[in-house]
Amino acid sequence: MSDRKLPRLLQAPAVLLLLVWMLIPLGMTLYFSFIRYVLNSLRRPEWTSPSLSNWRGFGNYEFVLKSKDFLLAIQNSLFIVCSILFLTVILGVLIAVLINKAFPGQGVVRVLLISPFFVMPAVNAVLWINMILDPVLGLQGIAVAGINEFLDGLRQIPVLGGFFSLWPEFEPVSFRATQTSAIAVIMMVTWQWTPFAVLIFMTSLQSEDQQQKEAAVLDGASTWSQFRFLTLPHLGRPIAIVVMIQAIFHLSLYAEIEIVSRGNGNKNLPYLIGEFANNNIGAASATGIFAVILANFVAIFLLRMVGKTLME
Amino acid sequence: MAIVAQSSKFSTYGRPVLAWGVGLLFFFPIFWMVLTSFKTDADAVKPEHLIFFTPTFDNYLNMTDNYDYWRFATNSVISAVSATAFTLFVSVPAAYAMAFNPSRSTKDVLMWMLSTKMLPAAAVLYPMIFLAKSIGLYDTHILIITVLSLINLPIAIWMLFTYFKEIPKDIIEAGKMDGVNTWGEIKEILVPLAWGGIASTALLVFIFCWNEAYWTVRLTTIDAATLSKLIEGNRAPEGLFFGRLSAVSTAAVGPIVVLGWFCQKQLVQGLTFGAVK
Repeated sequence: MSDRKLPRLLQAPAVLLLLVWMLIPLGMTLYFSFIRYVLNSLRRPEWTSPSLSNWRGFGNYEFVLKSKDFLLAIQNSLFIVCSILFLTVILGVLIAVLINKAFPGQGVVRVLLISPFFVMPAVNAVLWINMILDPVLGLQGIAVAGINEFLDGLRQIPVLGGFFSLWPEFEPVSFRATQTSAIAVIMMVTWQWTPFAVLIFMTSLQSEDQQQKEAAVLDGASTWSQFRFLTLPHLGRPIAIVVMIQAIFHLSLYAEIEIVSRGNGNKNLPYLIGEFANNNIGAASATGIFAVILANFVAIFLLRMVGKTLME
Repeated sequence: MAIVAQSSKFSTYGRPVLAWGVGLLFFFPIFWMVLTSFKTDADAVKPEHLIFFTPTFDNYLNMTDNYDYWRFATNSVISAVSATAFTLFVSVPAAYAMAFNPSRSTKDVLMWMLSTKMLPAAAVLYPMIFLAKSIGLYDTHILIITVLSLINLPIAIWMLFTYFKEIPKDIIEAGKMDGVNTWGEIKEILVPLAWGGIASTALLVFIFCWNEAYWTVRLTTIDAATLSKLIEGNRAPEGLFFGRLSAVSTAAVGPIVVLGWFCQKQLVQGLTFGAVK
């Protein structure tokens, strides 16, 4: 076999599998997005199987664009992804700089810190929303109740008590409500992905030019300006990579949304598609195409930003 | 070192205290889950038993009765192990070819593969359900294994590619001179040399497969349902079952977290495609 053919042959299975994986389902989604296709319909049974005679043109797209959930879902997707990116990068840099220098027990702290990253998303969400954030039975509820009880005790004190009676009782926050559930999702995903950012930033910090730093110290540079003008620029590339990888994962965030906010109106794009797919496949597919377009925007932007550095 | 000379009070006391604080804070939810798993369901929601309680193993002993844990765990093991094996079987030759016989299109092919990872799963969910049901594969191991392999294939190829790239070409060339065929090259030369890289790729793919929660939840009902599906199905236990839920969650994530501790270094290189060293 010639030198040229063989490498192609070895790559072929992987390329073909991914090509099929991309094209067939995506092609079907595109097709379904242009026809009327529902799972159950008593009035129009002919819509329950995909067929070209049910052609709807851009009707599904119009329907999706007009539904008020769609804009909400896009806003929510972007809000959740951007908040997580922002928090994980900031926390990641701070923590990486903090634990990068040797201190007693550095290895153990590293292990403690990285652990959340390996927790399966379903467990992460169930653990946080129930055992930690539940307004009555979770740690949040217990803590708020404890504080209120403590304040009650203070109010019983003869003279000082008058002052504390002016304080209101604390109210626990329900994180299953529409407004707050996005916050809960952001909290749990940030908890899970900050360790990832820390790990990558730490690895990068270890290759920082120490001589340059020592020179800066000799020149009397403050800790802040060392961080600002040496460390931060050095972290530019890892930050870009952390942003890219997380964007890939979080745009399709699903388990957390499903567990925390099922049915309460706080949807992201994948969740909205799932909801449409309960009956209206046409609309679900049109939403799916919108999701692909959104992902492509992000992908082009990110790959431009970091793609070149990956290939070096 | 010159830097040590000017070490302040912060370095001696502040840094360790703060670092330990952050570490413990991040680990706390996991610790809390493990602690709760040793409480009875009644104790788990009583403030007076927050820290002091009589530990019990009942939650672990009753996992089968309460949740049918082992059936889901078996499914998770079957799908994750098979998917990892299949992924490696396809990705090792591909990465080998790309690393040692790169053509002009190799870079583009690699980028394209990465871009398939950006295809939102939700966009192709329904066609997958439709296809799976029409060929009778819905809720089967084969389907889950196939999907898990496909979604991890790009990452596996990228990781292996970055490891293989580091191996000097001469070594492979030397093998060629000796008249070893391609399969022999991979088996006799590449695998022993890149053993560490292949093992950590396998480990990472396994972890991703184990934790996957979109396809495994949506494409299964009973027969092939994995641990993600089990936990997702118990999302709102209304506080009555915190003890047993913690036990089953601990059993679901425990092995993976421990596995993760051992491969955290490889994780960095793998997930950043070698761009951060």
